[in-house]
Amino acid sequence: MTYESDFKLDVLKELGNIGAGHATTALSTLLGNKKLTLVVPEAMIVGMQESMSLCGGPESLVGAIYIRVSGGLCGHMALLLPYESVQSLLGYLLGAAPQELRDMELSTLQEVGNIVVTSYLNALAEMTNTQLFPSVPAVAVDMAAAVWSSILAGAEVADYITIVQTGFQTDAEIIDGTIAFIPDEEDLAKLLGALGMGEL
Amino acid sequence: MHEYERGGVHSHDPMGNGAIAMAHTILVVDDTAFMRMMIKNVVQKHGYQVIGEAGDGEEAIAKYKELRPDLVTMDITMPKLDGISAIKAIMEFDPNAKIIVCSAMGQKAMVIEALKSGAKDFLVKPFEADRVIEALQKAVG
Repeated sequence: MTYESDFKLDVLKELGNIGAGHATTALSTLLGNKKLTLVVPEAMIVGMQESMSLCGGPESLVGAIYIRVSGGLCGHMALLLPYESVQSLLGYLLGAAPQELRDMELSTLQEVGNIVVTSYLNALAEMTNTQLFPSVPAVAVDMAAAVWSSILAGAEVADYITIVQTGFQTDAEIIDGTIAFIPDEEDLAKLLGALGMGEL
Repeated sequence: MHEYERGGVHSHDPMGNGAIAMAHTILVVDDTAFMRMMIKNVVQKHGYQVIGEAGDGEEAIAKYKELRPDLVTMDITMPKLDGISAIKAIMEFDPNAKIIVCSAMGQKAMVIEALKSGAKDFLVKPFEADRVIEALQKAVG
């Protein structure tokens, strides 16, 4: 890996750190100020196949909330939660862990994703001094491979994608998850420029 | 029994002088049923009456014209028509409309745009119940 791509990853990682910090605070507030620990973010460049292995492997069942980002910086963001985490979250927010996911459960999952991902976006907008607009979130519960395929098809990427992976965990329950931020390739340079680092 | 649990139309006594006032009516606008439920729970506990719900900006405008609520809680990112456009349309129809934004989009420029469009306050999700009630009380004076 070159110095330049190392540096890019470092910047993305730092953005991920701050963005995910805001997202974690938002989730904690939503959960009645439950203490959440932020898992140190990882920025990586991965291929299609590798991305499938994130969040428990291609065949694991996940809940995913996905938005398109437009405005000063374009890209995609997603929150992926292992199914057990989906159940813990819904159990906490709706009073009982659901047997099956109906409209209200999916709506709750969508709003959790919306709040977490948009908090991340707010931090990013503040740091880069731009305005960022999230689309209405899409929600899906499916195998990780199917979910990633949908996200990456929307991201119009063929070979490699830049991913910032972060997560959170409580002491008592496992509510871990992955926030994926996939900036459009040409916007990554813009992002670095906005942070005063010039284009690489 | 709490005051808001009394049967019939919800009433409260904001002046504390024994005169029971009619409850303020609210239209709750958010594209997720979960958030509408959360907001409804909070406001009803404090004696407000939710008279309608809308899941997008277009529905919000139609419901406002139909129901003429005292207050509106408005999301921003919604399908069909976003909250900012809905605020503008409602304010044009009724310059005295009292709209409180409840959105995860807490970026400064968005807050300013919402307030310029006529919103009375801007609450960033996830919000504390007390903040919602405070904003509603302030808006109705």
